[in-house]
Amino acid sequence: MISSDAPPPGDFFDLLKRSGYRFASPLPLAQADHRPKMPEATTVLAFHFRGGVIVAGDRRATAGNSIMYDRCDKVIPIDRYSLMAIAGVPATAFEMARILSHNFEYYRRSQMQRMSTEGKIRALSKLLKENVGMALQGVGAVSPIFATFDLATGKPSISFYDLLGAEFKVLTHTATGSGSPMIRGILEHENLWGAKALEQRSEDEAATLALRLLATAAQFDSATGGARPEDNLFPVLAVITENGYRFLGDDEIAALYKTSITRG
Amino acid sequence: MFEEPFRWMEAISTRHSYVREKLKKGQPVLGVPYNEGALLMGFAPQAGKVFEVYDRIAMGALGHPADVERLRMSLLDMAHLEGFNRSAQDVTIARLLQFGIAPALKQNFEEVMRAPYLAQLLLVEITPKNEALFYRLNYDGFWETFKKGCVIAGDPRAMASIEKEIDNTPFATYSLEEALDAACGLWARGLLAAAEEAASDNGEKKEDAPPALKEAFERWPLEAAVLCHKTERPSLYRPLTAGEIDALKNRVAGA
Repeated sequence: MISSDAPPPGDFFDLLKRSGYRFASPLPLAQADHRPKMPEATTVLAFHFRGGVIVAGDRRATAGNSIMYDRCDKVIPIDRYSLMAIAGVPATAFEMARILSHNFEYYRRSQMQRMSTEGKIRALSKLLKENVGMALQGVGAVSPIFATFDLATGKPSISFYDLLGAEFKVLTHTATGSGSPMIRGILEHENLWGAKALEQRSEDEAATLALRLLATAAQFDSATGGARPEDNLFPVLAVITENGYRFLGDDEIAALYKTSITRG
Repeated sequence: MFEEPFRWMEAISTRHSYVREKLKKGQPVLGVPYNEGALLMGFAPQAGKVFEVYDRIAMGALGHPADVERLRMSLLDMAHLEGFNRSAQDVTIARLLQFGIAPALKQNFEEVMRAPYLAQLLLVEITPKNEALFYRLNYDGFWETFKKGCVIAGDPRAMASIEKEIDNTPFATYSLEEALDAACGLWARGLLAAAEEAASDNGEKKEDAPPALKEAFERWPLEAAVLCHKTERPSLYRPLTAGEIDALKNRVAGA
Protein backbone atom coordinates (compact mmCIF):
# COMPACT_ATOMS: atom_id res chain seq x y z
CA MET A 1 0.00 0.00 0.00
CA ILE A 2 1.29 3.46 -0.82
CA SER A 3 1.03 5.60 2.30
CA SER A 4 2.83 8.63 3.65
CA ASP A 5 4.81 6.75 6.30
CA ALA A 6 5.76 3.75 4.15
CA PRO A 7 8.86 3.66 1.95
CA PRO A 8 8.11 4.24 -1.72
CA PRO A 9 7.33 0.90 -3.39
CA GLY A 10 10.01 -0.38 -5.72
CA ASP A 11 12.68 1.98 -4.37
CA PHE A 12 15.98 0.10 -4.38
CA PHE A 13 17.86 2.96 -2.70
CA ASP A 14 15.49 2.74 0.24
CA LEU A 15 15.98 -1.04 0.36
CA LEU A 16 19.74 -0.51 0.36
CA LYS A 17 19.57 1.95 3.24
CA ARG A 18 17.38 -0.41 5.25
CA SER A 19 20.01 -3.12 4.72
CA GLY A 20 22.58 -0.89 6.46
CA TYR A 21 24.19 0.70 3.42
CA ARG A 22 25.48 4.29 3.62
CA PHE A 23 25.90 6.05 0.32
CA ALA A 24 27.85 9.17 1.29
CA SER A 25 30.27 9.28 4.20
CA PRO A 26 31.33 12.92 4.74
CA LEU A 27 34.66 13.30 6.51
CA PRO A 28 33.96 15.70 9.37
CA LEU A 29 37.61 16.57 10.01
CA ALA A 30 38.71 16.95 6.39
CA GLN A 31 40.16 20.38 5.69
CA ALA A 32 40.66 21.97 2.32
CA ASP A 33 44.43 21.77 2.68
CA HIS A 34 44.37 18.05 3.37
CA ARG A 35 42.12 16.93 0.58
CA PRO A 36 43.49 13.80 -1.04
CA LYS A 37 43.99 13.88 -4.77
CA MET A 38 41.06 12.07 -6.35
CA PRO A 39 41.03 11.01 -10.00
CA GLU A 40 38.75 13.40 -11.87
CA ALA A 41 38.40 15.68 -14.94
CA THR A 42 36.87 14.65 -18.19
CA THR A 43 34.94 15.63 -21.27
CA VAL A 44 31.56 14.03 -21.81
CA LEU A 45 28.85 15.31 -24.10
CA ALA A 46 25.41 14.48 -25.42
CA PHE A 47 23.25 15.90 -28.16
CA HIS A 48 20.11 15.08 -30.10
CA PHE A 49 20.40 13.78 -33.64
CA ARG A 50 17.76 12.61 -36.13
CA GLY A 51 17.28 9.11 -34.72
CA GLY A 52 17.82 9.76 -31.02
CA VAL A 53 20.65 11.02 -28.85
CA ILE A 54 24.37 10.42 -28.92
CA VAL A 55 26.43 10.27 -25.73
CA ALA A 56 30.21 10.35 -25.85
CA GLY A 57 33.15 10.61 -23.51
CA ASP A 58 36.93 10.50 -23.40
CA ARG A 59 38.72 7.74 -21.47
CA ARG A 60 41.22 9.58 -19.23
CA ALA A 61 41.14 9.69 -15.42
CA THR A 62 43.53 12.11 -13.73
CA ALA A 63 44.60 13.09 -10.22
CA GLY A 64 46.11 16.54 -10.28
CA ASN A 65 48.74 16.46 -12.99
CA SER A 66 48.96 12.68 -13.05
CA ILE A 67 47.22 10.50 -15.59
CA MET A 68 45.85 7.65 -13.51
CA TYR A 69 44.09 5.58 -16.17
CA ASP A 70 43.51 5.78 -19.90
CA ARG A 71 40.70 3.31 -20.46
CA CYS A 72 38.04 4.65 -18.17
CA ASP A 73 34.46 4.09 -19.39
CA LYS A 74 32.60 7.26 -18.59
CA VAL A 75 29.42 6.42 -20.47
CA ILE A 76 27.64 3.83 -18.36
CA PRO A 77 24.51 1.81 -19.20
CA ILE A 78 21.82 2.24 -16.57
CA ASP A 79 18.96 0.35 -18.13
CA ARG A 80 18.00 -0.69 -21.62
CA TYR A 81 17.04 2.86 -22.60
CA SER A 82 19.29 4.97 -20.38
CA LEU A 83 22.92 6.01 -20.21
CA MET A 84 24.76 8.14 -17.70
CA ALA A 85 27.88 10.07 -18.70
CA ILE A 86 30.05 10.96 -15.75
CA ALA A 87 32.40 13.80 -14.97
CA GLY A 88 33.93 14.23 -11.55
CA VAL A 89 35.13 11.77 -8.95
CA PRO A 90 34.88 8.27 -10.44
CA ALA A 91 34.35 6.47 -7.14
CA THR A 92 31.20 8.43 -6.43
CA ALA A 93 30.06 8.50 -10.04
CA PHE A 94 30.42 4.73 -10.51
CA GLU A 95 28.58 4.14 -7.24
CA MET A 96 25.76 6.44 -8.38
CA ALA A 97 25.55 4.56 -11.67
CA ARG A 98 25.37 1.19 -9.89
CA ILE A 99 22.66 2.42 -7.56
CA LEU A 100 20.68 3.93 -10.43
CA SER A 101 20.99 0.80 -12.52
CA HIS A 102 19.73 -1.39 -9.70
CA ASN A 103 17.10 1.20 -8.83
CA PHE A 104 15.56 1.24 -12.32
CA GLU A 105 15.72 -2.53 -12.76
CA TYR A 106 14.38 -3.21 -9.27
CA TYR A 107 11.52 -0.82 -9.90
CA ARG A 108 10.71 -2.38 -13.28
CA ARG A 109 10.83 -5.93 -11.93
CA SER A 110 8.99 -5.30 -8.68
CA GLN A 111 6.34 -2.89 -9.98
CA MET A 112 6.09 -4.66 -13.35
CA GLN A 113 6.28 -1.41 -15.25
CA ARG A 114 9.12 0.87 -16.29
CA MET A 115 9.88 3.94 -14.22
CA SER A 116 8.77 7.12 -15.94
CA THR A 117 11.42 9.28 -17.56
CA GLU A 118 10.70 12.03 -15.04
CA GLY A 119 11.14 9.49 -12.22
CA LYS A 120 14.48 8.37 -13.65
CA ILE A 121 15.75 11.93 -13.99
CA ARG A 122 14.70 12.69 -10.41
CA ALA A 123 16.31 9.50 -9.07
CA LEU A 124 19.73 10.81 -10.11
CA SER A 125 18.89 14.21 -8.65
CA LYS A 126 18.16 12.53 -5.29
CA LEU A 127 21.55 10.80 -5.31
CA LEU A 128 23.32 14.07 -6.03
CA LYS A 129 21.50 15.71 -3.13
CA GLU A 130 22.59 12.84 -0.85
CA ASN A 131 26.14 13.57 -1.98
CA VAL A 132 26.21 17.31 -1.30
CA GLY A 133 28.34 16.91 1.84
CA MET A 134 31.03 15.00 -0.02
CA ALA A 135 30.86 17.35 -2.99
CA LEU A 136 31.35 20.43 -0.80
CA GLN A 137 34.33 18.79 0.91
CA GLY A 138 35.92 18.45 -2.49
CA VAL A 139 36.23 14.67 -2.47
CA GLY A 140 33.08 13.47 -4.18
CA ALA A 141 31.78 16.01 -6.67
CA VAL A 142 30.02 14.53 -9.68
CA SER A 143 28.54 16.39 -12.63
CA PRO A 144 26.66 13.87 -14.74
CA ILE A 145 24.63 13.83 -17.93
CA PHE A 146 21.63 11.53 -18.02
CA ALA A 147 20.20 10.48 -21.39
CA THR A 148 17.26 8.19 -21.97
CA PHE A 149 14.50 7.38 -24.41
CA ASP A 150 11.02 8.20 -23.19
CA LEU A 151 8.82 5.32 -24.35
CA ALA A 152 5.67 7.19 -23.32
CA THR A 153 6.30 10.12 -25.65
CA GLY A 154 8.48 8.32 -28.17
CA LYS A 155 11.19 10.95 -27.76
CA PRO A 156 14.73 10.90 -26.41
CA SER A 157 15.67 13.05 -23.44
CA ILE A 158 18.92 14.61 -22.18
CA SER A 159 19.39 16.17 -18.75
CA PHE A 160 22.37 17.59 -16.94
CA TYR A 161 22.73 18.42 -13.25
CA ASP A 162 24.60 20.72 -10.96
CA LEU A 163 26.48 19.45 -7.92
CA LEU A 164 23.51 20.07 -5.64
CA GLY A 165 21.16 17.97 -7.70
CA ALA A 166 19.28 20.54 -9.76
CA GLU A 167 18.20 18.96 -13.05
CA PHE A 168 18.17 20.73 -16.40
CA LYS A 169 16.57 19.17 -19.45
CA VAL A 170 18.19 20.19 -22.72
CA LEU A 171 16.59 20.19 -26.13
CA THR A 172 19.77 20.34 -28.16
CA HIS A 173 23.13 19.61 -26.56
CA THR A 174 25.17 19.62 -23.37
CA ALA A 175 28.69 18.87 -22.23
CA THR A 176 30.35 18.62 -18.86
CA GLY A 177 33.78 18.08 -17.35
CA SER A 178 36.97 20.13 -17.50
CA GLY A 179 37.14 19.97 -21.30
CA SER A 180 33.54 21.00 -21.85
CA PRO A 181 34.09 24.78 -22.07
CA MET A 182 36.26 24.16 -25.16
CA ILE A 183 33.46 22.43 -27.01
CA ARG A 184 30.21 23.94 -25.82
CA GLY A 185 30.72 26.90 -28.12
CA ILE A 186 31.43 24.57 -31.05
CA LEU A 187 28.26 22.61 -30.35
CA GLU A 188 26.22 25.79 -30.28
CA HIS A 189 27.88 27.04 -33.46
CA GLU A 190 27.28 23.74 -35.25
CA ASN A 191 23.67 23.70 -34.15
CA LEU A 192 22.95 27.27 -35.24
CA TRP A 193 25.15 27.72 -38.27
CA GLY A 194 26.51 24.30 -39.24
CA ALA A 195 25.48 22.54 -42.44
CA LYS A 196 22.53 21.07 -40.54
CA ALA A 197 21.03 21.59 -37.10
CA LEU A 198 22.19 18.84 -34.71
CA GLU A 199 18.80 17.17 -34.54
CA GLN A 200 18.72 16.84 -38.32
CA ARG A 201 21.99 14.94 -38.54
CA SER A 202 22.28 11.23 -39.20
CA GLU A 203 23.90 8.83 -36.73
CA ASP A 204 27.13 8.82 -38.77
CA GLU A 205 27.22 12.60 -38.90
CA ALA A 206 26.52 12.79 -35.18
CA ALA A 207 29.26 10.27 -34.39
CA THR A 208 31.73 12.15 -36.58
CA LEU A 209 30.98 15.40 -34.80
CA ALA A 210 31.26 13.76 -31.37
CA LEU A 211 34.70 12.34 -32.25
CA ARG A 212 35.88 15.73 -33.50
CA LEU A 213 34.59 17.49 -30.41
CA LEU A 214 36.43 15.09 -28.10
CA ALA A 215 39.60 15.46 -30.16
CA THR A 216 39.28 19.25 -29.81
CA ALA A 217 38.74 19.01 -26.07
CA ALA A 218 41.81 16.76 -25.75
CA GLN A 219 43.82 19.34 -27.68
CA PHE A 220 43.15 22.08 -25.13
CA ASP A 221 42.43 20.22 -21.86
CA SER A 222 45.20 18.10 -20.37
CA ALA A 223 42.65 16.15 -18.32
CA THR A 224 40.83 14.94 -21.44
CA GLY A 225 42.43 11.97 -23.16
CA GLY A 226 42.80 11.81 -26.92
CA ALA A 227 42.45 8.75 -29.09
CA ARG A 228 45.46 6.47 -29.66
CA PRO A 229 44.57 4.41 -32.73
CA GLU A 230 47.90 2.53 -32.58
CA ASP A 231 46.81 1.14 -29.18
CA ASN A 232 43.20 0.67 -30.26
CA LEU A 233 42.20 3.31 -27.72
CA PHE A 234 39.24 5.45 -28.73
CA PRO A 235 36.62 7.55 -26.99
CA VAL A 236 33.35 5.88 -25.99
CA LEU A 237 30.40 6.61 -28.28
CA ALA A 238 26.86 5.37 -27.73
CA VAL A 239 23.48 6.17 -29.21
CA ILE A 240 20.02 5.81 -27.70
CA THR A 241 17.08 5.26 -30.02
CA GLU A 242 13.62 3.76 -29.64
CA ASN A 243 15.36 0.35 -29.65
CA GLY A 244 17.47 1.19 -26.60
CA TYR A 245 21.13 2.05 -26.26
CA ARG A 246 23.90 0.84 -28.52
CA PHE A 247 27.62 1.32 -28.02
CA LEU A 248 29.63 1.77 -31.20
CA GLY A 249 32.21 -0.99 -31.43
CA ASP A 250 35.95 -0.30 -31.57
CA ASP A 251 36.04 -1.30 -35.24
CA GLU A 252 33.25 1.14 -36.07
CA ILE A 253 34.94 3.95 -34.22
CA ALA A 254 38.34 3.12 -35.72
CA ALA A 255 36.85 3.33 -39.22
CA LEU A 256 35.08 6.54 -38.37
CA TYR A 257 38.24 7.95 -36.84
CA LYS A 258 40.14 7.41 -40.10
CA THR A 259 37.62 9.42 -42.07
CA SER A 260 36.63 12.05 -39.56
CA ILE A 261 39.80 13.19 -37.83
CA THR A 262 42.28 13.57 -40.66
CA ARG A 263 41.61 16.34 -43.18
CA GLY A 264 40.35 14.77 -46.39
CA MET B 1 0.04 -29.45 21.30
CA PHE B 2 3.83 -29.21 21.60
CA GLU B 3 4.28 -31.36 24.70
CA GLU B 4 3.41 -34.47 22.66
CA PRO B 5 5.53 -35.17 19.53
CA PHE B 6 2.71 -37.07 17.86
CA ARG B 7 0.38 -34.10 18.02
CA TRP B 8 3.01 -31.88 16.40
CA MET B 9 3.49 -34.43 13.60
CA GLU B 10 -0.24 -34.65 13.20
CA ALA B 11 -0.45 -30.87 12.93
CA ILE B 12 2.25 -30.85 10.26
CA SER B 13 0.48 -33.59 8.37
CA THR B 14 -2.76 -31.64 8.53
CA ARG B 15 -0.96 -28.57 7.21
CA HIS B 16 0.35 -30.59 4.25
CA SER B 17 -3.17 -31.76 3.46
CA TYR B 18 -4.55 -28.25 3.87
CA VAL B 19 -1.96 -26.65 1.57
CA ARG B 20 -2.26 -29.38 -1.07
CA GLU B 21 -6.01 -29.00 -1.08
CA LYS B 22 -5.66 -25.23 -1.50
CA LEU B 23 -3.17 -25.62 -4.35
CA LYS B 24 -5.16 -28.36 -6.08
CA LYS B 25 -6.67 -26.13 -8.72
CA GLY B 26 -3.41 -24.37 -9.55
CA GLN B 27 -2.84 -24.43 -13.29
CA PRO B 28 0.48 -25.93 -14.42
CA VAL B 29 3.46 -23.76 -15.24
CA LEU B 30 6.15 -25.31 -17.43
CA GLY B 31 9.80 -24.36 -17.66
CA VAL B 32 11.75 -25.93 -20.50
CA PRO B 33 15.02 -25.24 -22.30
CA TYR B 34 15.22 -24.28 -25.96
CA ASN B 35 18.15 -23.65 -28.27
CA GLU B 36 18.67 -20.04 -27.15
CA GLY B 37 17.80 -20.26 -23.45
CA ALA B 38 14.72 -21.21 -21.47
CA LEU B 39 10.97 -20.80 -21.84
CA LEU B 40 8.40 -20.37 -19.07
CA MET B 41 4.70 -20.68 -19.84
CA GLY B 42 1.34 -21.13 -18.18
CA PHE B 43 -2.29 -20.19 -18.64
CA ALA B 44 -3.36 -17.69 -16.04
CA PRO B 45 -6.95 -17.14 -14.95
CA GLN B 46 -5.50 -13.97 -13.41
CA ALA B 47 -2.18 -12.32 -14.14
CA GLY B 48 0.68 -13.62 -12.03
CA LYS B 49 2.21 -16.78 -13.42
CA VAL B 50 5.55 -15.71 -14.87
CA PHE B 51 7.94 -13.06 -13.56
CA GLU B 52 11.44 -11.71 -14.01
CA VAL B 53 13.62 -11.97 -10.90
CA TYR B 54 17.09 -10.85 -11.95
CA ASP B 55 19.30 -10.54 -15.04
CA ARG B 56 19.45 -14.28 -15.70
CA ILE B 57 16.70 -15.57 -13.41
CA ALA B 58 12.94 -15.87 -13.90
CA MET B 59 10.17 -17.60 -11.99
CA GLY B 60 6.80 -19.18 -12.51
CA ALA B 61 4.31 -19.57 -9.69
CA LEU B 62 0.99 -20.98 -8.64
CA GLY B 63 -0.98 -20.52 -5.45
CA HIS B 64 -2.44 -17.64 -3.51
CA PRO B 65 -1.51 -14.38 -5.24
CA ALA B 66 -0.62 -12.67 -1.94
CA ASP B 67 1.78 -15.45 -0.97
CA VAL B 68 3.28 -15.61 -4.45
CA GLU B 69 3.82 -11.86 -4.23
CA ARG B 70 5.55 -12.08 -0.84
CA LEU B 71 7.91 -14.79 -2.10
CA ARG B 72 8.54 -12.89 -5.33
CA MET B 73 9.44 -9.71 -3.45
CA SER B 74 11.73 -11.65 -1.09
CA LEU B 75 13.56 -13.10 -4.08
CA LEU B 76 13.76 -9.68 -5.76
CA ASP B 77 15.12 -8.01 -2.62
CA MET B 78 17.73 -10.71 -2.02
CA ALA B 79 18.81 -10.86 -5.65
CA HIS B 80 19.19 -7.09 -6.06
CA LEU B 81 20.99 -6.56 -2.76
CA GLU B 82 23.40 -9.40 -3.57
CA GLY B 83 23.89 -8.13 -7.12
CA PHE B 84 24.62 -4.63 -5.85
CA ASN B 85 26.83 -5.56 -2.91
CA ARG B 86 28.79 -8.19 -4.81
CA SER B 87 28.14 -8.85 -8.48
CA ALA B 88 25.41 -10.01 -10.81
CA GLN B 89 27.49 -13.19 -11.22
CA ASP B 90 27.00 -13.96 -7.53
CA VAL B 91 23.23 -14.01 -7.88
CA THR B 92 22.27 -17.63 -8.42
CA ILE B 93 19.08 -19.50 -7.66
CA ALA B 94 20.99 -22.08 -5.63
CA ARG B 95 22.25 -19.36 -3.27
CA LEU B 96 18.90 -17.57 -3.12
CA LEU B 97 17.19 -20.83 -2.19
CA GLN B 98 19.77 -22.46 0.03
CA PHE B 99 20.71 -19.43 2.08
CA GLY B 100 17.55 -17.38 1.79
CA ILE B 101 14.10 -18.46 0.93
CA ALA B 102 14.07 -22.25 1.50
CA PRO B 103 15.04 -22.17 5.21
CA ALA B 104 12.57 -19.36 5.81
CA LEU B 105 9.77 -21.30 4.09
CA LYS B 106 10.58 -24.45 6.07
CA GLN B 107 10.57 -22.58 9.35
CA ASN B 108 7.31 -20.88 8.45
CA PHE B 109 5.71 -24.17 7.52
CA GLU B 110 6.74 -25.91 10.72
CA GLU B 111 5.62 -23.11 12.99
CA VAL B 112 2.13 -24.49 13.15
CA MET B 113 0.59 -21.41 14.72
CA ARG B 114 1.46 -19.31 11.65
CA ALA B 115 -0.36 -19.39 8.35
CA PRO B 116 1.57 -21.46 5.79
CA TYR B 117 2.51 -20.11 2.37
CA LEU B 118 0.05 -21.33 -0.25
CA ALA B 119 2.44 -21.29 -3.17
CA GLN B 120 4.72 -23.37 -5.32
CA LEU B 121 7.49 -21.83 -7.43
CA LEU B 122 9.40 -22.83 -10.52
CA LEU B 123 12.68 -20.99 -10.95
CA VAL B 124 14.91 -20.95 -14.01
CA GLU B 125 18.40 -19.61 -14.42
CA ILE B 126 20.76 -19.29 -17.38
CA THR B 127 24.28 -20.06 -16.19
CA PRO B 128 27.37 -18.14 -17.40
CA LYS B 129 27.90 -21.07 -19.82
CA ASN B 130 24.40 -20.41 -21.17
CA GLU B 131 22.93 -23.63 -19.81
CA ALA B 132 19.41 -23.59 -18.39
CA LEU B 133 18.89 -24.83 -14.82
CA PHE B 134 15.46 -25.41 -13.35
CA TYR B 135 14.37 -25.50 -9.71
CA ARG B 136 11.06 -26.42 -8.11
CA LEU B 137 10.38 -24.93 -4.68
CA ASN B 138 7.63 -26.36 -2.54
CA TYR B 139 5.53 -24.52 0.05
CA ASP B 140 7.50 -26.24 2.85
CA GLY B 141 10.91 -25.11 1.64
CA PHE B 142 11.83 -28.36 -0.09
CA TRP B 143 13.44 -27.78 -3.45
CA GLU B 144 14.68 -29.89 -6.35
CA THR B 145 16.85 -29.18 -9.38
CA PHE B 146 16.27 -30.23 -12.98
CA LYS B 147 18.28 -29.91 -16.19
CA LYS B 148 15.74 -30.96 -18.81
CA GLY B 149 13.01 -28.67 -17.55
CA CYS B 150 10.33 -28.98 -14.91
CA VAL B 151 6.73 -28.24 -14.07
CA ILE B 152 4.64 -27.11 -11.13
CA ALA B 153 0.97 -27.97 -10.93
CA GLY B 154 -1.67 -28.14 -8.24
CA ASP B 155 -2.69 -31.61 -9.34
CA PRO B 156 0.15 -34.06 -8.57
CA ARG B 157 -1.08 -36.41 -11.30
CA ALA B 158 -0.79 -33.67 -13.93
CA MET B 159 2.61 -32.72 -12.60
CA ALA B 160 3.91 -36.29 -12.78
CA SER B 161 2.53 -36.79 -16.28
CA ILE B 162 4.00 -33.54 -17.67
CA GLU B 163 7.31 -34.10 -15.92
CA LYS B 164 7.64 -37.55 -17.50
CA GLU B 165 7.01 -36.10 -20.94
CA ILE B 166 9.45 -33.25 -20.40
CA ASP B 167 12.15 -35.80 -19.62
CA ASN B 168 11.43 -37.55 -22.93
CA THR B 169 11.33 -34.43 -25.12
CA PRO B 170 14.55 -32.95 -26.57
CA PHE B 171 13.52 -29.38 -25.75
CA ALA B 172 17.11 -28.09 -25.69
CA THR B 173 17.36 -28.71 -29.45
CA TYR B 174 14.09 -26.93 -30.28
CA SER B 175 13.63 -23.44 -31.62
CA LEU B 176 11.46 -21.12 -29.53
CA GLU B 177 8.44 -21.78 -31.73
CA GLU B 178 8.91 -25.56 -31.50
CA ALA B 179 9.45 -25.41 -27.75
CA LEU B 180 6.34 -23.27 -27.29
CA ASP B 181 4.20 -25.63 -29.37
CA ALA B 182 5.55 -28.68 -27.56
CA ALA B 183 5.14 -27.10 -24.10
CA CYS B 184 1.52 -26.17 -24.84
CA GLY B 185 0.90 -29.72 -26.04
CA LEU B 186 2.35 -31.13 -22.82
CA TRP B 187 0.23 -28.73 -20.79
CA ALA B 188 -2.97 -29.99 -22.40
CA ARG B 189 -2.02 -33.68 -22.48
CA GLY B 190 -0.87 -33.57 -18.85
CA LEU B 191 -4.20 -32.24 -17.64
CA LEU B 192 -6.08 -34.76 -19.75
CA ALA B 193 -3.98 -37.67 -18.48
CA ALA B 194 -4.52 -36.53 -14.88
CA ALA B 195 -8.29 -36.30 -15.42
CA GLU B 196 -8.40 -39.78 -16.96
CA GLU B 197 -6.29 -41.23 -14.16
CA ALA B 198 -8.50 -39.63 -11.53
CA ALA B 199 -11.62 -40.97 -13.22
CA SER B 200 -10.11 -44.42 -13.46
CA ASP B 201 -9.08 -44.37 -9.77
CA ASN B 202 -12.56 -43.35 -8.72
CA GLY B 203 -14.22 -45.73 -11.15
CA GLU B 204 -16.43 -43.01 -12.46
CA LYS B 205 -16.67 -40.74 -15.44
CA LYS B 206 -14.87 -37.46 -15.05
CA GLU B 207 -17.48 -34.76 -15.50
CA ASP B 208 -15.29 -31.73 -15.02
CA ALA B 209 -13.01 -32.43 -17.99
CA PRO B 210 -9.88 -30.29 -18.34
CA PRO B 211 -9.91 -27.66 -21.06
CA ALA B 212 -8.42 -28.53 -24.40
CA LEU B 213 -5.77 -26.17 -25.69
CA LYS B 214 -8.12 -24.24 -27.99
CA GLU B 215 -10.56 -23.77 -25.15
CA ALA B 216 -7.79 -22.73 -22.79
CA PHE B 217 -6.82 -19.95 -25.19
CA GLU B 218 -10.43 -18.77 -25.27
CA ARG B 219 -10.78 -18.80 -21.48
CA TRP B 220 -7.45 -17.53 -20.21
CA PRO B 221 -4.53 -15.42 -21.32
CA LEU B 222 -1.28 -17.29 -21.90
CA GLU B 223 1.64 -15.90 -19.91
CA ALA B 224 4.96 -16.82 -21.43
CA ALA B 225 8.47 -15.42 -21.31
CA VAL B 226 11.97 -16.45 -22.24
CA LEU B 227 15.43 -16.04 -20.82
CA CYS B 228 17.28 -15.67 -24.11
CA HIS B 229 21.08 -15.62 -24.02
CA LYS B 230 21.30 -14.32 -27.60
CA THR B 231 21.40 -10.69 -26.47
CA GLU B 232 24.07 -8.14 -25.68
CA ARG B 233 22.12 -6.81 -22.72
CA PRO B 234 22.59 -7.99 -19.13
CA SER B 235 18.91 -8.80 -18.67
CA LEU B 236 17.92 -11.94 -20.58
CA TYR B 237 14.21 -11.86 -19.72
CA ARG B 238 11.71 -11.12 -22.46
CA PRO B 239 7.95 -11.67 -22.31
CA LEU B 240 6.58 -13.16 -25.49
CA THR B 241 5.02 -10.52 -27.70
CA ALA B 242 1.33 -10.41 -28.55
CA GLY B 243 2.35 -11.31 -32.12
CA GLU B 244 4.19 -14.45 -31.00
CA ILE B 245 1.22 -15.55 -28.87
CA ASP B 246 -1.26 -14.82 -31.68
CA ALA B 247 0.85 -16.90 -34.05
CA LEU B 248 0.75 -19.75 -31.52
CA LYS B 249 -3.02 -19.41 -31.20
CA ASN B 250 -3.34 -19.63 -34.97
CA ARG B 251 -1.19 -22.75 -35.06
CA VAL B 252 -3.34 -24.33 -32.33
CA ALA B 253 -6.55 -23.32 -34.11
CA GLY B 254 -5.26 -24.80 -37.37
CA ALA B 255 -4.09 -28.05 -35.79
